[in-house]
Amino acid sequence: MHALNGLKCSGPRFVALASVFCVAASLVACGTDSSSPVGQASGGGAQNGGGNGPGPGPGAGNGPVGPGNLTTASASVARRLSRAELSNTLRDVLGDDTVAPNKFLNDDVYRPFDNDYTVQAASRALIESLEALADDVADRAVSPANRGKVVPCTPTGPGDTACLKTTIESLGQRLYRRPLSAEQVTAYLTLQSYATEANADVPHDFYTAVNLVLRSMLQDPEVLYRIETGTATKEPGIFKLDSYEVASRLSFLLWGSGPDEALLDSAKAGGLVDAASRTDAATRLLTDAHARGQLERFHSMWLGYRAIPASPELATAFNTETNKLIEKVVFDQPSSYLDLFTSSQTYVNGPLATQYGLTAPAGGAGWVSYADDKRAGILSHGSVLAAFSKFSDTSPTQRGIFVQTRLLCNKVLPPPATVNVDQPPAAADKVCKLDRYDAHRTLASCSSCHGQLDPIGYGLENYDIGGKYRTHDDGHAECVLPDKGALPGFGEFSGPGQLARLLVDSGKVEACFMQHLMTYAAGRELRPEEDASKAALLASFKADGYGLQQLLTHYVADDRFSLRQEEVVP
Amino acid sequence: MRKFILPRRSLLRGLGGVAVGLPMLECMLNGNGDALAQAGALPKRYAIVFAGQSIGGDSWDEDKSQVAGVRKTETGHFIADTAAGAGYPVTTPLKALEKLGLMGDFSMVSNLKIPWNTTSADGAMVPAGGAFRDFHGGGAGPLLCGTRSTTSSFKAASITSDQIVAGLNKTTLDSLVLRAQPSWYLSGSDFSGRQYISYKDGGKAIEAQTNPGIVYHSLFDAFTPKDGSEQAAHDFQLRARKSVLSLITDKRERILGKLGTADKARLGAHFDEIRDLEMRIAAAPPMSGDQCQKPTAPADNLPLGEDNAGSGSDTIGTNTGYSDEDTRARLLADLIHMAFVCDITRVATLQITVFQSHMNVFKISTDFGMPIRADLHECGHNGDATTRGQLPVSMCLGWHIGHYAYLMDKLKKTPEGAGTVLDNSAIVFMPEAGHGIQLNDSTANFQTHSVDRMVLLVGGRAGGLMPGRHIVSQNAHPGNVLLSAMQAAGYTGDKFGEVTGKLPELFG
Repeated sequence: MHALNGLKCSGPRFVALASVFCVAASLVACGTDSSSPVGQASGGGAQNGGGNGPGPGPGAGNGPVGPGNLTTASASVARRLSRAELSNTLRDVLGDDTVAPNKFLNDDVYRPFDNDYTVQAASRALIESLEALADDVADRAVSPANRGKVVPCTPTGPGDTACLKTTIESLGQRLYRRPLSAEQVTAYLTLQSYATEANADVPHDFYTAVNLVLRSMLQDPEVLYRIETGTATKEPGIFKLDSYEVASRLSFLLWGSGPDEALLDSAKAGGLVDAASRTDAATRLLTDAHARGQLERFHSMWLGYRAIPASPELATAFNTETNKLIEKVVFDQPSSYLDLFTSSQTYVNGPLATQYGLTAPAGGAGWVSYADDKRAGILSHGSVLAAFSKFSDTSPTQRGIFVQTRLLCNKVLPPPATVNVDQPPAAADKVCKLDRYDAHRTLASCSSCHGQLDPIGYGLENYDIGGKYRTHDDGHAECVLPDKGALPGFGEFSGPGQLARLLVDSGKVEACFMQHLMTYAAGRELRPEEDASKAALLASFKADGYGLQQLLTHYVADDRFSLRQEEVVP
Repeated sequence: MRKFILPRRSLLRGLGGVAVGLPMLECMLNGNGDALAQAGALPKRYAIVFAGQSIGGDSWDEDKSQVAGVRKTETGHFIADTAAGAGYPVTTPLKALEKLGLMGDFSMVSNLKIPWNTTSADGAMVPAGGAFRDFHGGGAGPLLCGTRSTTSSFKAASITSDQIVAGLNKTTLDSLVLRAQPSWYLSGSDFSGRQYISYKDGGKAIEAQTNPGIVYHSLFDAFTPKDGSEQAAHDFQLRARKSVLSLITDKRERILGKLGTADKARLGAHFDEIRDLEMRIAAAPPMSGDQCQKPTAPADNLPLGEDNAGSGSDTIGTNTGYSDEDTRARLLADLIHMAFVCDITRVATLQITVFQSHMNVFKISTDFGMPIRADLHECGHNGDATTRGQLPVSMCLGWHIGHYAYLMDKLKKTPEGAGTVLDNSAIVFMPEAGHGIQLNDSTANFQTHSVDRMVLLVGGRAGGLMPGRHIVSQNAHPGNVLLSAMQAAGYTGDKFGEVTGKLPELFG
């Protein structure tokens, strides 16, 4: 509710619990006259090619743009691995699947992705946490049960320098994502003195040195940050990355983890600096389970369901349902990515079928068809319908914000400062929830913003935060829900399936997906100068029938993927 | 507990301003035990214990509550619903302090107010030291730093009180910045600044440490055990730890040398922090006599709660959205206590819950015998369907104050000189909001998002503080109270952000 006393969107006191934001949209505040209350987000001008922009991307038939064009290289810095990326790396390199970073490191900031380098900052808390993490991981790695996974040789004794050297080289290559220099190896070998010293009071052996090597590596900025230097091009501030730097870009984008041995081998052979070699690498990486996990995590952050507010059993079922659809559309039966929004089938188990009012599949879990077009695709999943709810109920406004910002990439400004966003719209004499939203419609100061948001939510209001269908307000049979809403500017709809159809037909949802994908890849909000690259990629996406694997392959094949622009220091 | 000996002493200064001072021993005290034999007075400590909740229920009169479906009209539940002066009747949130015999060890200052512009939401119109008229974030900045907030951000625009005091000292750690609530608990959003209560110059937020085990190692790993065999192991670990880190810092120039300006700054900051860690390890562990003892390491298996399941109230899960903040806050208070006693630092902040906290209160409220199916924020608004209003809010506030009381009690029970450590401390309890006129509309009273009718507690006797009273201020700024506590802890200035002057009543 908003108690909204300042703007009188509602009465001074509230009676109910449902909550929404009074949201001012676009570049104007709620209450200000605006002909365009919901505006394009920064970097969202997908149509703008830009005067200096490259031609369409390789997928559209024109050759890639060469280095030296400012519009092709994205600004970047040394990005610190997110908790998820660090966890994945420890899993892949050390076989440590304890997700220890989540225990020791403070949570990353989600904007909506967890890898925004503009908000990463070193701090005492971070350094102390990294030391504790390194100690914890190293202890586990050299334990008798696990040491075989990290030490590729059998040491002859505490002073086996050859075996320690081999261990340093193999761990180093994976953690640094490039071979260590002779100088680096020599430095780590000094730690062997702790294995060999004459000290009857302290138990120590060969693995003591391995432990210390790991502790040092795991706190090393060259491991924790993806440092890219490259070599200068003719264009000032533009650098061409080396093979290993490109290998890291590839694996962190497609796997959310560091490169495996095969990718490092490609880098060692001087590959990955050309489009064909990157295409081959991407094709291989996309066949691996890591790519599925990465894409699923991307969607959970983009669409806001990374933590589903439901019982553990139901949350698991929702996640399975959504991941199955992503995997089907992208990997198992590759089709247009837009099928993610329009699929007429969904993967459910018995309880989830009951939840949705569908016939339970034979055999416990499987694909079932929806009865009509009111439900379709990912927007009908309990995962997504649970996101952007507020407190005890759905919030038509929040769902409107979700569609406008995450699916159409329109900017929605926060509500005016004087609006109470903690309480649902108040009207003591109104029992029905949507009646309490009247002020949003009838007061000009509210409707200019809410008119772009609430109608979307109304069309979803018959689907509760668990994805169940309902015909009336919970506990109020007299409050019949409309089963009808509108996507402003695009038409009316009933249910998430019809909404998805409008979104897909609008031609905007794929551009917004592209913006989010590129945001995640860049590790920060896109900038206007990247509009041209986005437009080119979008053209190739369309030309390929919206195949996501092809898109990702084009993305990494483009020259810009192997270039770096020096970040401007504020 | 084991006792530790004192190794070499030195004064070192790290790249990031970490300073390491001389440890203090009983033998350094004068005959009265109230001052150092050669230098000034005993060290003065300053701490803030913060609660991310308001002090009353939204739109609930302060004598009105509903508990388990039964409506009540009772006075004495609102924290400041009591007489002024000494010996005042104890209100519900203060019970933990009474139970530990601490009513004479702190003063309660009520009726505090952060000013705001009642007619304009324009950031340029916010008065000095004032709150921006945003519902949640607008009051956070001026509360923490005394400087006006001109946006809805939770950010403080200038240095906070704890960091000003930290700048006065030359201890191993300039300050301890700790937080008990490790997670935000809401899907689809994040802390967005609500997790900070300590800021450096220019409004640079300080990331808090949330893991008690890491705080413990940071504080006490450098202590040298007396026992010979333990010493050998300790020496080995310390040498190894230094070698591990120096392999990294040795590369600093080589790495930074190949980077551009932006990366040089990013990586340089990281190297600076590692270098500071090295300096802290290299420095002598400060000790201040027999009371300084290495405590037992905290449990390593504290749970990390998942996001809240269900809604903010009524349907909220019973086992989500909670990471045993109760134990975390107690462990962190233990560590602050011993860090103060050992003079490792003289300044600490303990943010038990974050601003606008969505920690699930079901567990703690069940423990205090009044189960509430809500998160802390909703507890302040509507509670759950059957339990809401002043009393439930006061009980949650009392839970926070219980941790404040725990820390105060430990400091009081630790002798120092002729008195106790609490005698040389100024310990502030700070809830995020008051219970007066609503910030955003300036008409409705008894609101949970209010910077009007705020309350702070100031414990200890450092610098002439005269605790034991309820002081009803005439709408003094909370910054006046903080400035008083800062001066008690040794700050000589008379200005804090845009706030000027102490509250003389706190000094008797």
